[in-house]
Amino acid sequence: MDIAGNPSSPLYGVGAEFASAVDLVRVAKELRAAGYESFDVFSPFPIHGMDKAVQSRRSPLGRIVFIGGLTGFLAAVALQYIPSAVIYPLIVHGKPFGFFAIPAYFPILFETTVLFSAFTAFIGLLMMIGLPRFNHPLFNWDRFKGVSADGFFAVIESRDPKFSKDETGRFLESLGGSNVTVIHED
Amino acid sequence: MSLRPDQKFDYRHVGYGFLAACALSALAFFGLLIGAILDVRQFAFSYLFAFVFFFTISLGALFWVIVHHAVDAEWSVVMRRQLENSACLFSALAVLFIPLVFVAPDLWAWMDPANAGNPVLQEKAAYLNRPFFWGRTLVYFAVFIGSAYLLRAYSVAQDASGSVRCTIYNRRVAFASIVPLALCVTFAAVDWLMSLDWHWFSTIWGVYLFAGAALSSLCVLVLVVTALRSVGYFKGLITEEHYHILGKLLLAFTIFWAYIGFSQYMLIWYANIPEETSYFILRNTGSWNVLSILLVVGHFVVPFLLLLPSLGKRRPGFLCGVAGWILAMHLLDVYLMVLPELHRTGFRPSILDLLAVLAIGSTLVAVFLKALGDSALYPIRDPRLQQSIDLQN
Repeated sequence: MDIAGNPSSPLYGVGAEFASAVDLVRVAKELRAAGYESFDVFSPFPIHGMDKAVQSRRSPLGRIVFIGGLTGFLAAVALQYIPSAVIYPLIVHGKPFGFFAIPAYFPILFETTVLFSAFTAFIGLLMMIGLPRFNHPLFNWDRFKGVSADGFFAVIESRDPKFSKDETGRFLESLGGSNVTVIHED
Repeated sequence: MSLRPDQKFDYRHVGYGFLAACALSALAFFGLLIGAILDVRQFAFSYLFAFVFFFTISLGALFWVIVHHAVDAEWSVVMRRQLENSACLFSALAVLFIPLVFVAPDLWAWMDPANAGNPVLQEKAAYLNRPFFWGRTLVYFAVFIGSAYLLRAYSVAQDASGSVRCTIYNRRVAFASIVPLALCVTFAAVDWLMSLDWHWFSTIWGVYLFAGAALSSLCVLVLVVTALRSVGYFKGLITEEHYHILGKLLLAFTIFWAYIGFSQYMLIWYANIPEETSYFILRNTGSWNVLSILLVVGHFVVPFLLLLPSLGKRRPGFLCGVAGWILAMHLLDVYLMVLPELHRTGFRPSILDLLAVLAIGSTLVAVFLKALGDSALYPIRDPRLQQSIDLQN
C-alpha cells in the first residue's frame, strides 16, 4: 500500500481509485453493506443513484436552522409586541396597538425568521463541514487531484469503528480498487 | 394511427357518468332559471361566483401549459395533456358566460343608469363603459381560447406525427401568450370582480386572482391524475416522484397566495384610506369576518403545515386530500370576493350558490370527459416523454 502525507502525523483514512461511475456506485453499496459508516466517494460529476447507494444519514442542519428561525421569529415577536403593548401603547395613524396591530408585525416576523434561518444555515454548514481550513488530508494524495478530471475515489476514514488499516485496505482492493493508499494528515 | 388501450381513455370507466353530468347540468340550469325569475340579483351574484371559480381553474391550467413550454420543462410532459384538457374548457366557459350578459346591470351596478350621475363613476367612465367592457371581455376569451386551443392542437398533432416541429411551434405560442395572458388576467379580474364595487381599487387584485388560479388548477391536476391512475392508467409513467414535485408546487403556491393576499391586506390596512378600506371593512364585519378568518386559516395555515414535511408529498392519497381541501378553500375565497357585495349585512347562503356551482361544474365535467377521450392521455410522442417518466428528485 502506498502512503500519502506525513507518516508521523495521525492517520486520516484509506483511499482507493476505481474505474468508473458505475463501479463507484457498486462500491458505495458494498461499503454500506459491510457496515462502514464514515466513508465518502468522490467523482468529477454528480452520479445518479449515489445518494441512495451511500445512504448518508439525514443532516441535522435542518433542525439547527429551525431553532435559528424560531429564535428570529420570537425575537421579532418580543421586539414588536412588548414596545407596542407594554412600553408605548400609543395609537398611531388611528391604528390599534398590542395584539391588534398584528398586520404590521408580519413583515418583520417574516424577515427576521428568514434572516436568522439563513445565517444559521450558512454558519452552521461551515462549522459542520469544518470550513474554513487551509488544507485537507486528501490533498496530500497526489492521485486524488484527478478527482476534478477523470478519477473516481472511495475513502474510508480512520474514525470509523470498523476501521483497521490493513484490513480496510485489503477490502478496498477486493472491491476492485487500484492505488490503495494510506492517507496521513500533514 | 391507433392508440394502445393504456394510452386512450375508455368511457366504460365512468359508466353513465357522462350522461349523469349532462343530466345534472340540465337540472341545475333549470333550477337556476327558476331562481333567476324569482330573485335575479341573487342569481347574478351566485352565477358569477361559480363562473369565476371554474374560470380560475382553466386559467391556472393554461398558465401551467404556457410556463412548461416557455421554460422547456421536462418533468411535466407526462401530465401535460391533462392540463391542456383543462385549459381547453375556456371555449365552454365562454358559452357559460352568456347568462351574465343578460343580468349585467344587476351584477355590475355601474352599468345601471340610476348610478350614471355618480361623480366617482363619471371619473372612471372612460374605462367603465359598456362598449369597452364587452369588447374587453371578447378579447379575454379570444386570447384564452386561442392560446389554449393552439397549444393543445399542436400537442395532439404531435401524437400522430411525432414531429419535433410541434414542440417548437408550441414554444412560440407559449412565448407569444405570456404577456397577453398576464394582461387579460389582470383586466378580467378588474372588470368582472373589482368593478362589482366601482369605488374600490387594488393594484394587486389581478395577481391575487392569479395566485388562487395557479394553486387550484394544480389541485385539479392532482385529482385528475390520481383518478386516472386509480382506474389503471399511467402505470409506470407517473410515479411518486411526480407527486413529490406537485406537492412542492402546491406548497409554493399556497405560500404565494398568502404572500399576495397579505400584501394586499397589509397595504390597505396600513394606509387606511377610506376608498381602499371599504373592501375589507365589509368582509371583516359580522359573519363575513368569521369566513374571512376561516379563509386565512384554511387557505394558508392548514395546507402550509400539511405540505411542509416531505412525508405526505410523496403519497397520492394524502396529496389528494390536501388538494380537495385547497379547492374547497378556493371556493370560499371566490365566494368572499363576490357575495359580500350582494349581502352587505352578513353571510346569507342561498340555494342558488350551490345550484350555480353544480350547473357550471357538471357542464365542465362533461366537456372535460369529452376532451379526455378525444386524444391520448399523455403526449405519447413528445421528444421529452422518456425524461419526464424517468424523473428523479
